[in-house]
Amino acid sequence: MRIELHNVSKAYGRGQGRFWALRNVSLTVGNGTHLAIVGPSGSGKSTLLHLLGCLDVPTEGEVVLDGVFRASLSDREVSLIRRTRMGFVFQQYYLNDSMTALQNVLLPLELARVADRRSKAIEALRWVGLEHKLGALPSQMSGGEQQRVAIARAVARRPALVLADEPTGNLDSENGNKVLEVLHALRDERGTGLVLVTHDDRVAARATHVVRVRDGRLE
Amino acid sequence: MWIVFANAKKRKARLVMTVAGIAIGVATLFALLASSAGIQRGLEREIGGLGAHILLLPVGCPYTLTLALMQGTDTLTYIPQNRLTDVRAVSNVRLAAPVVVGRVRVNDEMTPLYGATDEILHLKRWGIPRLDGAVVGSDAASRLGLSVGSRITLSFYAQREMDVIRVLPQTGGRDDTFVFVPLEIAQSVLALADEVSAVLVQTENVDRVTQTRQTLGRLAHLQAVPPSEVFDMLVGLFGSMASTLMLITGVAIVVGVLTTMNTMTMAVYERRTEIGLLRAVGATRGDVFRLFVAESLWVSLVAGVLGVGVGYAVTQLLPRTTGFGLSAAPHFSPSYIGICLLVAAGVGSVAAVYPAWMAARMEPIQALRAL
Repeated sequence: MRIELHNVSKAYGRGQGRFWALRNVSLTVGNGTHLAIVGPSGSGKSTLLHLLGCLDVPTEGEVVLDGVFRASLSDREVSLIRRTRMGFVFQQYYLNDSMTALQNVLLPLELARVADRRSKAIEALRWVGLEHKLGALPSQMSGGEQQRVAIARAVARRPALVLADEPTGNLDSENGNKVLEVLHALRDERGTGLVLVTHDDRVAARATHVVRVRDGRLE
Repeated sequence: MWIVFANAKKRKARLVMTVAGIAIGVATLFALLASSAGIQRGLEREIGGLGAHILLLPVGCPYTLTLALMQGTDTLTYIPQNRLTDVRAVSNVRLAAPVVVGRVRVNDEMTPLYGATDEILHLKRWGIPRLDGAVVGSDAASRLGLSVGSRITLSFYAQREMDVIRVLPQTGGRDDTFVFVPLEIAQSVLALADEVSAVLVQTENVDRVTQTRQTLGRLAHLQAVPPSEVFDMLVGLFGSMASTLMLITGVAIVVGVLTTMNTMTMAVYERRTEIGLLRAVGATRGDVFRLFVAESLWVSLVAGVLGVGVGYAVTQLLPRTTGFGLSAAPHFSPSYIGICLLVAAGVGSVAAVYPAWMAARMEPIQALRAL
């Protein structure tokens, strides 16, 4: 999957209180690219990731998805692109705490009414090493396990691109390493594109491409 | 569907309160439908049980007099018995059965007494050739410990004794409470010489009832009333009460809608992160809208089923007779369950539209940032 940002800016607020989180960014994420977005806190890394993942719309500039202007797509069409081509991993995991690990992974498959969804969800959980936790609720799992469930949820549909926002930010180093191993395996074994937001240079060092964001601009 | 169930489990206390709010409205509606239908059917049975096309009543309020006739209480005004000759002479009158009603002591227990001539046997199917003893309704027989062959003593202004010749099977109507005796016995005990409480008239040609009624109505000292008119009036009376109660129920249901809407709106605010996540994993606005409506619908249907159960239980606690002493046993119909479930589903759908719309129009990242 190819995503291009052309002179993209993003502002929040209005009038005097307007704040530019991102200014005039141009960037291309090609098929199978492993891109790390690094920079200090508040630099605009997450905003950049959200624009790449079509979770947010730019204030200025263009986003192009596989050669199609995002602005020309309906909200439904963008949702379907997220559903079929992208997977998201967030720092806070965002697991539904009343659903088991299996149900959390099933959620996007259920929305897409994918055939054999249960077996696909189990396969995704097996792939992240959690086949023994199918019936566990998030409250019964460690932070690392919860994040791996979130990764399984993101990859269950075998998306072309996974976008991860500080996936190890809430984890200790041991669990953080396990999560990174899973994400790198995704790239190495499946050829899935990976865009990773991190402020950890060691994490960024394993990426094929690195962009640095500072004060809303690419360095 | 499992997504809906999983989300519903999340906030159990709120779920219980929402279900209870809707269930109370549905229970009230169910109880009202069953009770109203019960009263109407009770009236139909009682008035149909008179077996007459036209009621001849003494001068006075026809509705009060008809109710007295059905309840077996003294009408206090009477028709001179000699009017019967004129009544029978009217064209199209096939049968004119004089009756006397009043409460007397039967074996020392106050019991409604119904005096009639053998003509009553053409109106009521008792399976006896002549009314030459006491015919006892099932409840009266059970209350007084009577069976065929028992000797009863009737007393009020005078005392008479006679044998029970028939115990009637249960009808569910007021006949179950009466003791039926020959007219002259009842007149003697109630000291009504040559007077009757009413005359039940059957016509030859039912199509000419209106004309016959007009002719009978011109006779002095009586009024001719078709039972259907009394029925319509009483149904109207109970109907207006039912309408008031239905209005109150309607208000309860509207409150249910607003409560559910408020709960759902709060839930949308609380679940912004979840909505954001759903949108991130590819849920369209339509998917989010449908999910919230489905959740509300499911909760409402559970409340509807519960409400029907509670409504049924409530009807079992209501009195089985109206203030007029008429049967008011609730009548249940599968259609009432359907109506109640439809109302519950309507509550759920209407209440969910605005919150679901709010949820659907949230931008994914705005929703995710809510955490």
